[in-house]
Amino acid sequence: MDTLVEIQNVTKTIKGRTIIDSLSFNVNKGEVFGFLGPNGAGKTTTIRMIVGLIGMTSGDIKILGHSIKTEFEQAIKHVGGIVENPEMYKFMSGYQNLVHYARMSQGITKEKIAETVEFVGLTDRIHDKVKTYSLGMRQRLGLAQCLLHDPKILILDEPTNGLDPAGIREIRDHVRKLAREKDMAVIVSSHLLSEMEMMCDRIGIIQQGKLIDVQLMTDFVQGNEKIYEIEVEGKEAASRIVKDMYPDSRVQLTENGIALPLKKEKVPEVIKRLVNQDIQIYGVKEVAKTLEDRFLEVTSQKGGLIHD
Amino acid sequence: MIKLIQNEWMKIFKRTGTYVMIGLLLFVLIVMGGFIKYQDSKGSVPDNSEWKKGLQVQNESYQKELTEMGDAIPQEVKISYEREIAINKYRIENDLSPNEEYTVWGFLTDTSQMIEFAGLFTIIIAAGIVASEFNWGTIKLLLIRPIKRGKILAAKYLTVLLFGLFMLFILFAFSSILGMVLFGFPNDPVPYLNYYNGTVTEQSMLLHLINYFGLKSINMIMLATMAFMISAAFRNSSLAIGLSLFLMFMGGQLTRLIAIKYEWAKYILFANTDLLQYFEGAPMVKGMTLGFSVTMIIVYFLLFQAIAFYVFKKRDVAA
Ligand SMILES: Nc1ncnc2c1ncn2[C@@H]1O[C@H](COP(=O)(O)OP(=O)(O)OP(=O)(O)O)[C@@H](O)[C@H]1O
Ligand SMILES: [Mg+2]
Repeated sequence: MDTLVEIQNVTKTIKGRTIIDSLSFNVNKGEVFGFLGPNGAGKTTTIRMIVGLIGMTSGDIKILGHSIKTEFEQAIKHVGGIVENPEMYKFMSGYQNLVHYARMSQGITKEKIAETVEFVGLTDRIHDKVKTYSLGMRQRLGLAQCLLHDPKILILDEPTNGLDPAGIREIRDHVRKLAREKDMAVIVSSHLLSEMEMMCDRIGIIQQGKLIDVQLMTDFVQGNEKIYEIEVEGKEAASRIVKDMYPDSRVQLTENGIALPLKKEKVPEVIKRLVNQDIQIYGVKEVAKTLEDRFLEVTSQKGGLIHD
Repeated sequence: MIKLIQNEWMKIFKRTGTYVMIGLLLFVLIVMGGFIKYQDSKGSVPDNSEWKKGLQVQNESYQKELTEMGDAIPQEVKISYEREIAINKYRIENDLSPNEEYTVWGFLTDTSQMIEFAGLFTIIIAAGIVASEFNWGTIKLLLIRPIKRGKILAAKYLTVLLFGLFMLFILFAFSSILGMVLFGFPNDPVPYLNYYNGTVTEQSMLLHLINYFGLKSINMIMLATMAFMISAAFRNSSLAIGLSLFLMFMGGQLTRLIAIKYEWAKYILFANTDLLQYFEGAPMVKGMTLGFSVTMIIVYFLLFQAIAFYVFKKRDVAA
């Protein structure tokens, strides 16, 4: 697999505060990499460093082998991106905005601009002033702006921010299509978990400036544990017993009983113990774990945050 | 580079504000023209055949004052008297009446005061050209192109200069047309009498005006450069406009005040930006020379540019 972006042990300190702490990961050709983290985790800061808007305190970022620090032009010419909101020149038309950016890269023809506008579905309104655009149209224009020069790497910082479900879906389809058909490496940041679930191949979780986990999407959602809900009489007692068995486990009280993450082979063991302690069991069922659960789980374990 | 300048030019001329500025400039010129024309038609040039006598009398009174006051007379007044005397003498000797008809030349001389106005608009553009990108948030998309930051900044500065030139051109061209329509062209070309280093020479009026515009714009270029520097280094267009305009109106006066007491005033930028002082008056601080002022201007220019480029290239962009 071709690695297009390498983040190598990057640290960023602003005014004595470490905002990004020894971050390392790679993004490969044709994959959508989800960059997931709660507000203030450092997603935007990392993206700013990847595109060279801010410097790094230490470490390096390589794009197709070119360091963004020392070979800025060579590196950045393969990158198209939106950092936070796609701010455009409001007093100009969408088309003029695109012409503006087209002039700043080599060899972008009128046909290419038209083709890109068509791709993002903005042909009808492209000659209107940007200030008359809705948020969705601005996002489309932002996407068009980063696709003009056929980048090999696409970086989108919260691209679905403020979009309605149809808009979100559209961005998602675009992203998947670009990764599949054009073999781009796409980095998408978000704190919306459900959306990442459908868009990404791989996911990196960042919290308080540290990368705490990188996993394939499928592995990530499943994990090797599932959550089981056990319907019991006397859930407090049951919960105490289970906590005795697995002090580290997150046992939750539900309406009819308790729920806890468990490996499949551990299930009989738990039931046996509960029965031995005279707890009445009415049922055991597997609860599908969502990304959300996993996310909270991972961030609370490794980041030391307390949930519930 | 040309494409970058094209971009900046487009961003300036897609905004209504720019047209308001140009409109204001034209409007002021029209008002000036109309006003002068109205006054002019009331009393035409007095055909005073006794003008030689008048100049003689004037010279004598100047001379008398010069000898009476002796050393007490301020340097500046002294030089301006000497200049008047020399020019009057030249007129008498060469039979050049001061009672010229008011023509396009006169109008152009009057409207050249409006350079300050053109300068003001250039400062506004210079102050906004970097800071606005930060305000709009567009800087993030601007700086992730395969172009070095220094080059982007250079394109912006060149655009400011071009815009200044453009404003001067509008001023000069529109005044010429307006002046010719309202006041006509003189029948015989009237020379401009230039006094420099104690001698009077005749100069073509056009050459004189171009010179005059050129020298006057130095002040404007320096102020625009300063506004540009503040804009690039502090990303704050209000600060850039405010400070530059304040110095534009007050810088000269303040420097003059300081110059009364302290000699180091000559190192202040505004003691040096008015190069006309060497051609038509006295230098602000005794002992200053044209060479000194030109050097100071270049030093300040390089300083402004160095700050602007250094900060802009290093800065973390977290707008
Ligand atoms: N210029 C700055 N100076 C000081 N601190 C900063 C600066 N920029 C960001 N930070 C801090 O760095 C941390 C990470 O910010 P960042 O914007 O990268 O978060 P994020 O993951 O993008 O969050 P969000 O989901 O809210 O967009 C925050 O705690 C923020 O306060
Ligand atoms: Mg962010």
